[in-house]
Amino acid sequence: MINLKSLYMNKYFAAFIILLSFSACQKGEINSLNTPVVGGITANPTRSDLFNLVTGAESGMRNNIAAYLDGTGVIGREVYRFSGAEPRYTTDLLGGGTKRLDNNTFYITNPWASRYQVIRQCFILLDAIKNTRTAIASDAQKKAFTGFAKTLIGYQLLLNINMTDSNGARIPVPNGATLGPVITDPGVVMDSVLKFLDDGKADLTGSEVMFPLSDGFLGFKDAAGLLKFNRALAARVYTYRKNWAGALTALNESFFDLNGTLTTGVYHSFSTNGGDLANTMYLAPNGNGEVRVAHPSFVNNIVAGDDRINKTSLRTSSASQGGLTGDRDLTIWNSLNSPISIIRNEELILIYAEAKIQTGSFPDAIVALNRIRTAHNLAPYTGAITTAALITELLYNRRYSLFMEGHRWIDVRRYGLLGTLPKDRPDDDVWARYPLPQNESNI
Amino acid sequence: MFLPKSSLLVLLCLCSTLALFAQQNLSGHIKDAVNGRPIPGVTIRIPNTNKGAISDASGAFTLAVPAGTPSIQVSYTGYKTVTLKLTPATTVLNISLEEDFARLDEVVVTGLATNVKRSNLANAVATISGRELNGVAPAQTFDAALSGKVPGALITANSGAPGGGFSVKMRGITSIFGNSQPLYVVDGVFFNNSSIPAGLNDVSGAATAGNPNNQDNPSSRIADLNPEDIENIEILKGASAAAMYGAKAAAGVIIITTKKGKSGKTKVSVNQELGFVKVRHLMGVRQFTAETAADLAGSADNTDPAVQARRNAYKAQFNTAQSAGKIYDYEKEMYGETGQVLNTGLSISGGGDKTTFYLSGNRRQEEGIVKNTGYFNNSVRLNIDHKISDRISLGVTTNYINSSSDRGLTNNDNNGVTYGVALSSTPDFVDLHPNALGEYPRNPFAASNPLETRDKMRNNEQTNRFVGGANLDIRLQQNDRSTTRFIGRGGVDYYNYKTAALFPRDLQFEENGQQGHSIQGNTNNLNTNLGGFFANTFTPNDKISLTSTAGATLETGYMDNILTVATNLVSGQSNLDASANTTTHQFRQKYRDNGLFIQEDLSLIDAITLSAGVRFDRSTNNGDYKKYYIFPKGSFSWNIAKMKFWNIAGVENLKIRAAYGQSGNVPPYSSKFTGMLGSNIGGYPGVLVDNLQGNPAIKPERQAEFETGLDISILSGRVSLEATYYNKNIYDVLLRHSLPGSTGYASEWKNSGNLKNQGIELGLTLVPVNTSNFKWSSTINWWMNRSKVTKLLIPPYAIGAFGNSLGTFYLEEGQPATQIKGIVGSDLKLIGNAEPKFQMSFFNELTIYKNFSFRFLMHWKKGGDNINLTQLLTDAGATSFDFDDMIHGTKAGVYRPNAGDASIYVQDASYLRIREIGLYYNVPLKNTNIIKGIRVGISANNFFTWTKYVGYDPEVSNFGSNTITTAQSRGSNGLSTGVDVTPFPASKRASFHVGIDL
Repeated sequence: MINLKSLYMNKYFAAFIILLSFSACQKGEINSLNTPVVGGITANPTRSDLFNLVTGAESGMRNNIAAYLDGTGVIGREVYRFSGAEPRYTTDLLGGGTKRLDNNTFYITNPWASRYQVIRQCFILLDAIKNTRTAIASDAQKKAFTGFAKTLIGYQLLLNINMTDSNGARIPVPNGATLGPVITDPGVVMDSVLKFLDDGKADLTGSEVMFPLSDGFLGFKDAAGLLKFNRALAARVYTYRKNWAGALTALNESFFDLNGTLTTGVYHSFSTNGGDLANTMYLAPNGNGEVRVAHPSFVNNIVAGDDRINKTSLRTSSASQGGLTGDRDLTIWNSLNSPISIIRNEELILIYAEAKIQTGSFPDAIVALNRIRTAHNLAPYTGAITTAALITELLYNRRYSLFMEGHRWIDVRRYGLLGTLPKDRPDDDVWARYPLPQNESNI
Repeated sequence: MFLPKSSLLVLLCLCSTLALFAQQNLSGHIKDAVNGRPIPGVTIRIPNTNKGAISDASGAFTLAVPAGTPSIQVSYTGYKTVTLKLTPATTVLNISLEEDFARLDEVVVTGLATNVKRSNLANAVATISGRELNGVAPAQTFDAALSGKVPGALITANSGAPGGGFSVKMRGITSIFGNSQPLYVVDGVFFNNSSIPAGLNDVSGAATAGNPNNQDNPSSRIADLNPEDIENIEILKGASAAAMYGAKAAAGVIIITTKKGKSGKTKVSVNQELGFVKVRHLMGVRQFTAETAADLAGSADNTDPAVQARRNAYKAQFNTAQSAGKIYDYEKEMYGETGQVLNTGLSISGGGDKTTFYLSGNRRQEEGIVKNTGYFNNSVRLNIDHKISDRISLGVTTNYINSSSDRGLTNNDNNGVTYGVALSSTPDFVDLHPNALGEYPRNPFAASNPLETRDKMRNNEQTNRFVGGANLDIRLQQNDRSTTRFIGRGGVDYYNYKTAALFPRDLQFEENGQQGHSIQGNTNNLNTNLGGFFANTFTPNDKISLTSTAGATLETGYMDNILTVATNLVSGQSNLDASANTTTHQFRQKYRDNGLFIQEDLSLIDAITLSAGVRFDRSTNNGDYKKYYIFPKGSFSWNIAKMKFWNIAGVENLKIRAAYGQSGNVPPYSSKFTGMLGSNIGGYPGVLVDNLQGNPAIKPERQAEFETGLDISILSGRVSLEATYYNKNIYDVLLRHSLPGSTGYASEWKNSGNLKNQGIELGLTLVPVNTSNFKWSSTINWWMNRSKVTKLLIPPYAIGAFGNSLGTFYLEEGQPATQIKGIVGSDLKLIGNAEPKFQMSFFNELTIYKNFSFRFLMHWKKGGDNINLTQLLTDAGATSFDFDDMIHGTKAGVYRPNAGDASIYVQDASYLRIREIGLYYNVPLKNTNIIKGIRVGISANNFFTWTKYVGYDPEVSNFGSNTITTAQSRGSNGLSTGVDVTPFPASKRASFHVGIDL
């Protein structure tokens, strides 16, 4: 009796369970509802996919640019960054008390990560191009994509090695490849930057650009323009490598124009429009809580009459934090929509001057320096005509022309002059380099 | 011819009279054995049938039983079940019931369709009755009411903001990136408890710099549930008990049963609560002097003339303010409001033989301790149970909730706009009050004027929620040896959650910034769960009982969150299109989980139980969505006191038990993909690779828990001890493996390690005095947990706070998962541990002269550290209350942030609280025709706390506990409770209660 019943029950069981499991397995995989995924976009990209990747790369270059400029600006004694919410701008970055630069804090980890993220994006673009059908993009058009990608890889790597210097950086590798070791010789890393830029140049030559770029690239949106942008970056790196001949050659292939507009160049563009990024380097003048004020030495060391003082303006009342006081707000950017420069003609002129000084062509150098001086309301140069004096003059002009564009700390470091930077409080330090981020020791 | 017909007739008549005589009419009274009071609501039942009766308000009952029925069973919650033998002559039965102090006869759920008496239970299942939950000093929300009542759990409030938000961690750390909060099941419906951020990050900028985890402090959804509706709660603490619930139950299951109707006279009950809420503790502010005011600009020996001028300016400002009497304590002004609490509830329950119902409505309206904050919760519930036939019964539960909370703007920020951060740099001699025209001055010491922000901004979260479920029980077959049932259960949980935050353009920080923010989010969430089970109980004789259960379950979930941020607003408007810019984000999540299970429970001589089962689970969140993962379980219990050889009188329960179970924890949604996030420039749409690399081979975490224990009760249950040891191992722990930044990724999903939790739970129930005029019962619980990372396949790394220099959680093989490390001098050292050394709770109920009832709950947490960054911010802003105290020859507020010692801010968060205390009086009534009972009472909740912690409250979490990950920010992880960054201060409440039963 029981056996029969349990047989009957078993059939009932089995049937029900089979039914339930059957109905449940019909519906299939649930895909990512929110975003495209890397595997999907590189498999067989459409033209829109490729444009989206390029735009993403251009846009990503702006991420954490404020942390880079604030960090290099504070350590290079160009600016004080007072923040009610983040005390480490006045403690860690200036070495206040016993504080040091920590290898696991936002001022190094955030910009470091953002630059490598753009590099990864560029490698994804390179992979996508490999899988692009010819109907979508011709060979010449494909080379524009790859040339642009390689140029950006070089530029982003440069910004990171600028921060860590002899604490090293890793050379980027393509998707899926094994990561290499940390290279602690900045020269080797910068040579790798030059290699990426050269590969980019090779691809951009004779290519055809079909992708859109923001108006930060206005005047440089075609292949010829991107090539000039590439060479301008190369000129900067040659200077860091002390390869003066290389710098001059690169300048000639770039948009360098001794008598041209100083502001011609390539910029990061910003907008308060929906979905875009605002320029967070802009802070309204006379604000409190979040403040960028010029370091007092900015106005103390400037030559009377130099119109570059107008990159700052006097506040109605000075701002203080942690025993530091400043009374001149920055006015380089005047709204949340203002662009931030990547590289512009004024820097190229100064590179030209530096290369000429270092190769002993003093007259050419002085012509270039005077171009800068007269543009900023100063009389032509009348100092000594020696390498040392001209370098001092060059560094003065680089300091004020490229104020808060991420150059002073690097220039002072490469000329061994870190000791000349002022220490405002007795326990302050002038750091020579950022530590390698703690996460680089994860493998 | 006629004779046979008429004799048939006679026979028929005779038989029918015999049939009449075959009924036995029983009646009687039921009363309490100690104090003699009648007990209403007692169930008198014919065993193995659905036939029974319920005693009325005077304890009287009548029941007609078929002749020859051998016994009846009398049972009532909290009292020992009695089985009485019947003789054919019995007509009147007066029964005295003894209180079941050790609750041995309480029925506890052990599987999805099975249950067992506590005397045979193999796990330490905690139960909380509705009265313990809500009957001492009611808390604002359901999750707040659990504090201190769950042995084995660490329950921490995230903040004091109205609307809930609690982290409930049972038996230590269950998971870090997987689900670490328990599953809430309400009448068989899986109740969603996600916290969804309101997008305040666009204003506060909190999740931009040091930590990308969301810090918007969203409310909790379990808070929607009205505690008044709850009959009881059972808590399955780990996989050994909860294995049958599948992957969602890895961190335990809280099974909530709401009140159901009882047949009999309809009962109407009205309850009114009137009270107030105040801040629990204020940190205090620095008292400035003319000299210290000047020091804000720089030190006295600073040679810079600008600094000296500034010093004089501040000195003058201070002196003016002081002589005009305008020195203000802004902390008190912001957080010192007294909020009114009003709570009204009405419930009606009744029914007949076949249908019973419970209808309740509740309206709770509370103001907060900060102006313009508060909580409003309206809930309507209708539960109906109907016996469709003798064999089929159906129960339907429905609940509609409308809740709204206004939570202010607190917690971490990088823009100087949250209340706490703005206050942290604002001294007492500046005047932030509005003038006669309502214009607020600009705060020169911070980016915002906190009084202006408080008065003009709005942060509202509104939920409309419908939860419904049905439970169908069909007895397919029954004979004297076996019963087979089919149980079907289904539930739906739908809510629409609307967040609206408005920051008008004339606020100080908006004027020169984005010119106003209107941030509105709209989320629709639908969860369904469906299950069907067959349960067969085979009882060949009264010594053996075998229950076999098999079934299948299916759960689906779909969430769609749309968040729009509008900036540059039209003056005075909040609509999203009354603006110059809008940005919209959308985030969706979907899953489908299904499982099959089989369980066998064997009970021998009512003293030994053995159980074994296995569950097959799969989920679309796993890398391979088709694969079934297998989770076994088994348990054993032996109640030695029930054995025939046991003859020690006085020890009436002695049970040893052991249980083992495995459970999984599914990977978070979309962890198998590497996404590409939107990143636009110049009006062109772009996608940028996410910094979290997906893992297409990702597997669920697997938890294996072993639990063993001993239960003893002596002196007729007046002293009972429950002792448990557990060992919980978690394998394939899902971690975001931190990658070198140079890969382009910050982390990747990886199953990368093992975690272990071991602990002890002791529960002692005492009834020291039990006389008719005075009864005192007491429950003492003591529990501790120790966690350890037993294997880590990836290098050790920091997680969950703001970097090594400020103290951070640190995952390292061989160390506790909750350790806190930080930089001291130049080394990374161990500086604390967030795990408490132990916790203890002490609940007492005294009943005096039958009508007075005095109850209180104390809770002691010893050990467990917080990372107190509120103190860091007030030190940096020069407003800490102890700034001017001297440490090592320097002012404390200068010494602490510059000492290069992260351990200064990692502080002991031990506390002793009287969580709940209440005194109630049942007004004795002479005429109980219309009004059956009146109760009055006063209660205080979290009114008394003793702690050395200097922050607002030792229970705090800047990162929330169940916040979901969206495209904008990462959700909370299972570790980082205890990070204190200027939270909404905790509050204490006291109320007066009146209740009338009709």
